[in-house]
Amino acid sequence: MARQVKVWVDHNRCVGNAMCTHIAPQVFSLNNDRQSEAVNPGGDTVEKILDAAENCPVSAIFVEDAETGEQLFP
Amino acid sequence: MLAMTEDLLAPEAIDDPYTYFGRLREEDPIHWNALYETWVITRYDDVVWFLRRPELFSSEIFLRDPNPPYPPILDADEELYEFNKKYLSHWFIRRDTPDHLRMRAVVHPHFNPKYIDGRFRTMVREVIDDLLSEVEAQGRMDVLRDFATPLPVLVIAQWLGLPQQDREFIRQLSRNLLALDQENPDRNQAVHQAITTLVDYLNPLVEERLTHPQDDLLSALAQGEKQGIIDRDEVLSNSLLLLVAGHQTTINLIGNGTLALLRHPNRWEQLKQDPSLIVKATEEVLRYDGPVKRAPRIAAEDVEVHGKTIRKADRILLVLSAANRDPRQFANPDAFDITRYPNPHVAFGGGPHHCLGSTLARLEGQEALKAITQRFAPFRVETPRLEYQTLLNLRGLKALPVSWT
Repeated sequence: MARQVKVWVDHNRCVGNAMCTHIAPQVFSLNNDRQSEAVNPGGDTVEKILDAAENCPVSAIFVEDAETGEQLFP
Repeated sequence: MLAMTEDLLAPEAIDDPYTYFGRLREEDPIHWNALYETWVITRYDDVVWFLRRPELFSSEIFLRDPNPPYPPILDADEELYEFNKKYLSHWFIRRDTPDHLRMRAVVHPHFNPKYIDGRFRTMVREVIDDLLSEVEAQGRMDVLRDFATPLPVLVIAQWLGLPQQDREFIRQLSRNLLALDQENPDRNQAVHQAITTLVDYLNPLVEERLTHPQDDLLSALAQGEKQGIIDRDEVLSNSLLLLVAGHQTTINLIGNGTLALLRHPNRWEQLKQDPSLIVKATEEVLRYDGPVKRAPRIAAEDVEVHGKTIRKADRILLVLSAANRDPRQFANPDAFDITRYPNPHVAFGGGPHHCLGSTLARLEGQEALKAITQRFAPFRVETPRLEYQTLLNLRGLKALPVSWT
């Protein structure tokens, strides 16, 4: 079974650059304040989600293994 | 009516934009400047709201502005102006979706924060060490000329893939491009000359990268052309953008940061004692006296904001430096506090056009300010009066002569 991850966006950091919604549009979406939310962490591969997290210009995305709690990013 | 000048290039607005725009922020936060025919937006919440609504406030200022330029230009330069505007309209920062993302995506991998850190952290430290070693024994320097400028120019030349010996040429012409932002009526001549000279210089380099790609931005752009994503004009125009945006801003981050620290010697000492504060200190420099004062937009449709009607095609200036001193957002906004946290400043803008190069700018700013404070006691300023460049969008000193013993 594919690895399940927990993904969240720190809204104190998110500037609405939308790099993540570009890289993983199935996972991230902008809310009414135009900040990103991880609306569907199972919507794409873990690699894609980590790619989005790594490319976030303000490092606002956090990813951890849903089962073990291991921090995958940052 | 407010009794204050509408001339955004007047000495009072250039020397102390915080007082000038601070007054607007408190008294008329959605202000119509009739001289420049532009809205001037100064409160933090408003600036953030505008930045995050690109569908209402377009970045296409070169494509969508029907009004003549202000300050006025020579009639004889009309054609040059049209040429310049058309060429610079390819800059992805001056485009909306989908063109913005189409062009920007070509260079995305080169802006990955991990990539930037791996490629530049050590190099930046070495360059800084060399530059400071060169001046240390002299007991004096012009911070702008001897330190704040050579570092970012070297970095951007390497990142783009330009020969290191061309640095002075690159620096001078990039500076001429900034004339667009000035008041002299013949400014389009300098801009036109800078564009054509740089394009003639860059074109053969791009040509070469089409067949021999390397690990640099020119190659990324050339590969984008090869794949049919962007055309040659867009490649060249965006090379100019990356060149200018990639160092003119960082120069002033280092210059303004050094000035802020030397004017607050206790903060300088605090940073010297505890260099782990450098991340927060750099963020505070960005907030307190950031290099970019304003982000321009143009209304894409009629919008009502706080009871005022902004009409389609109206010009808009989002004053980042006023938002960053808004007391509604920041406690003691006029205090320089290198421990401030959180510090959600808008020095890099926000929304889809948030500065793409912020990771590199932060890296250079952090390393530069850390090195200066580690190596020296607070500098003495060797001039009775500091002068700022007369530019609408950038905040930077002409020179910062200092001494130490």
